[in-house]
Amino acid sequence: MNSPPDESDESTKGISRRAMLAAGATGLSIGASGCINRVQSVVDPNSSTGMSVSILTLPGADGDREGAQIARHLEENLRSVGVNATINTRSRSELLETVLLDQDFDIYVGRHPADFNPDFFYEALHSTYAYESGWQNPFKFMDPSFDSEVRFTDPSFDGALERQRTVEGAEREDAIAELLWRFALEQPFIPVCIPNEYRLVQTDRFSGWEDGHLATRLGYLGLEPAADVEQLHALITDARPTRNLNPLSATARERGTVTDLLYDSLATYEETDDDSESNLRPWLAADWEWDGSTATIELREGCTFHNGDPLTAQDVEFTYQFLADTTLGRAPEASPAPRYRGQVAAVDSIAVEDDYHLTISASTSPEVGERAFTVPILPRRIWSERVDTRVTGNDEFSPPQGTWSLVTANNIPPVGSGPFQFADRSQGEFLLLERFEDHFSVGTDGVPEPTVPELRLEVDPGTASSIDRITSGGADMTTARLETYALGGISDDAPVERVEDTSWTFYHIGFNTLKEPFSNPRFRRAVARLVDKGWITETVFNGHARPVAAPVAEKWTPDSDSEVDSLVWEDKDPVTPFLGTDGELDVKAARSLFAEDYEYDDNGNLLR
Amino acid sequence: MLTQLLLQVAVAVSILLSVALAGVVGRDRLSLLREEWKSRLRTSAPAIALLLAILLLNRIMRQQGRSLSQEYGVHMTEVFYTIEGEFVLLFQAIASPEANAYFSISYVYGYVFLLIFPVVAYAALPKTIDFRRLLIAYSLNYAIGLVFYILFIAYGPRNVFVEELTQTMLYDNNPQVQYLTTEVNRNTNVFPSLHTSLSATVATFAYQTRSTYPRWFPIAVCLSISIMVSTMYLGIHWGIDVLAGLALAGFCVSLSTYLVDRWSLTAILKQVRERVHEYRDTVTTPSQKNS
Repeated sequence: MNSPPDESDESTKGISRRAMLAAGATGLSIGASGCINRVQSVVDPNSSTGMSVSILTLPGADGDREGAQIARHLEENLRSVGVNATINTRSRSELLETVLLDQDFDIYVGRHPADFNPDFFYEALHSTYAYESGWQNPFKFMDPSFDSEVRFTDPSFDGALERQRTVEGAEREDAIAELLWRFALEQPFIPVCIPNEYRLVQTDRFSGWEDGHLATRLGYLGLEPAADVEQLHALITDARPTRNLNPLSATARERGTVTDLLYDSLATYEETDDDSESNLRPWLAADWEWDGSTATIELREGCTFHNGDPLTAQDVEFTYQFLADTTLGRAPEASPAPRYRGQVAAVDSIAVEDDYHLTISASTSPEVGERAFTVPILPRRIWSERVDTRVTGNDEFSPPQGTWSLVTANNIPPVGSGPFQFADRSQGEFLLLERFEDHFSVGTDGVPEPTVPELRLEVDPGTASSIDRITSGGADMTTARLETYALGGISDDAPVERVEDTSWTFYHIGFNTLKEPFSNPRFRRAVARLVDKGWITETVFNGHARPVAAPVAEKWTPDSDSEVDSLVWEDKDPVTPFLGTDGELDVKAARSLFAEDYEYDDNGNLLR
Repeated sequence: MLTQLLLQVAVAVSILLSVALAGVVGRDRLSLLREEWKSRLRTSAPAIALLLAILLLNRIMRQQGRSLSQEYGVHMTEVFYTIEGEFVLLFQAIASPEANAYFSISYVYGYVFLLIFPVVAYAALPKTIDFRRLLIAYSLNYAIGLVFYILFIAYGPRNVFVEELTQTMLYDNNPQVQYLTTEVNRNTNVFPSLHTSLSATVATFAYQTRSTYPRWFPIAVCLSISIMVSTMYLGIHWGIDVLAGLALAGFCVSLSTYLVDRWSLTAILKQVRERVHEYRDTVTTPSQKNS
């Protein structure tokens, strides 16, 4: 199994089916090749310490029931195999702070914002980002050399991440299939499931809810209010938007719905019926055209920021430079923003032609390069002044990347150019936005516009009470995804509707791969086999989720027609199937799997 | 939703109070209270002011405490969970819709009644010492609780044992209660359980005054035990929080006994006035010389 498969024509095609099956088999049994001889096998086991693992998660009842239940399932099964696992609860912002900024954790359970395009993997796992703070590679995952059993087209994991960014069409599909297989064998994080995105909306006061994805700006534009309706009253279960509106903050949000409303980007996400169509439509850019890997962009003329400053090509250029280095070259080392890293990395260079024309050269294919068009465009004047005020005298200026005050400050009031502008807020209670009358969408044909003077986002304690409130006419919509436990509480008689949008965010179990024993992919794979994703989707999510081995849209998941083996979920995980049935772990089988690499003491505790 | 619930609580507690006042305190004491309330209030003014100040501080810290806690607090959920494990799940053995209703009512309505009743009952006694002692004990509970809440950040069991507690979780059965609890408390204010410490405080007072109010003693004990159990049954507190609550109650009751009547405010005021006079003399004398 250690020897590569036949080097003849198969190697040029990438991974052969046979090699894949072999790799799959290794996935099933972590000790088959015996290539990692643990030190413990020579050391007296009694002198070793028991393995303990802290699982970070959100508070269950008050934050994220589904995530907390996944954590608990994992905790119980880890205990069953002799690992001293505990649950460590943090608030939403503290969890992200611990994982993304302090990077001080063993395992965490959370929801990844992901993206409609699988290129998000590049930001999440590329080794260049292993030592940066932010959403870029929080797993600190680095190109492993261990998987010599399988012959992939790319010599390394990084190579696979990079290749899918440059190739196109069918070639990209193959590259992604291969990347997903590498991922499944490595398990830098365990993908659990993609939950359905349901929201509850009131149908008496507004119509047109189906037109845009309610996690994006288009969902809030073009709604048709009934006569006399002056305000869209949305409920949020997450109070962070009342505290921090900094578009760069890593901890203030998982996904940027509110940022989307306050800021514009060159392009905006749109749901399409046809899989082959691009999901991006021009937004702040009136249009763009690709010539090779260079895009010529024409901005809409006459756009302004909320403070009245004109928005020009200089602001666009500035935004990409600033996100790549938030110190604007003042520090000895570049300080990339803790967000949008993957998108911005696709931009090679920018040339401003005039106020409304610029070209962006991408280091990637147009498809991946266009993802860069989704970042919020920031006002140059404001942010460069903020950098200036923070650069102190003659002292050497080297702010900590990802955590310095510019990227963590609350940025209230925010100044963007988006369809809504900041009006008021009360911490922990509400955020009030008002229509930006000068927004380009207002009065422009074919562009959905803000149709109500006010948008009020009010904090509500939870999904069940949010449903109660909307059903009784106390609010118009939920902005957060409904937790599935409360779906049964939606009344059939009330003028409400459950709206479903395309879902790509996924629950996952992340490892700190710099730490022992999580640095061992065989250990991670063994842990993955303690998680019954099928049972979780059935019981925790009441069937309103899709269990996954590859956390991407179905169209990107390699199936049986693919060059490589299928990663489609068919009753069980194709690579790391659960060791047991119906959520019940086969403890004996699980223990013997762990015993292949690690030792047990006399009391049945797993030793490190 | 909040106002509706507040109204419900107010009505229910008023009914309970009027029944209990008639049955426990008696008409004679109440009519005497109506005559003497002004003078009793004057004697007890410092204790009342203290309690009001602490409650106000508590209110302010609900917002400010967040940032203080983030700065100085220690995360304890994992520690509590490691120490006591699944202890609170023992109460799931008695889980039933009736128990849900009973403990939810105890936790919300019973608790408010348990705290308010003794305030009126002790105010109705000619001697104000128990009244003042109670107010001081309440103040101490809140004040010490506040410090602990800033220092210890912990989430209750409902945030860890979601599946096991689904049937009994307070907020699932009564989602609107969440509006009330988020209004008065943050969900990381868990250690110690103030529901426990204040209930135990009231029960201890009921024991100490059992010869005056013989009927109140058994009521207070039953109710406060129900409230303590309810905090664990409903998944709000850990066993450790309840234990710490009991310890806090013991401490506050003893300290209130020690503190009350130790200093007379009028005496202190007199002393301060004398000091001020002395100070003014020392300041003014040399300056007069200079001029």
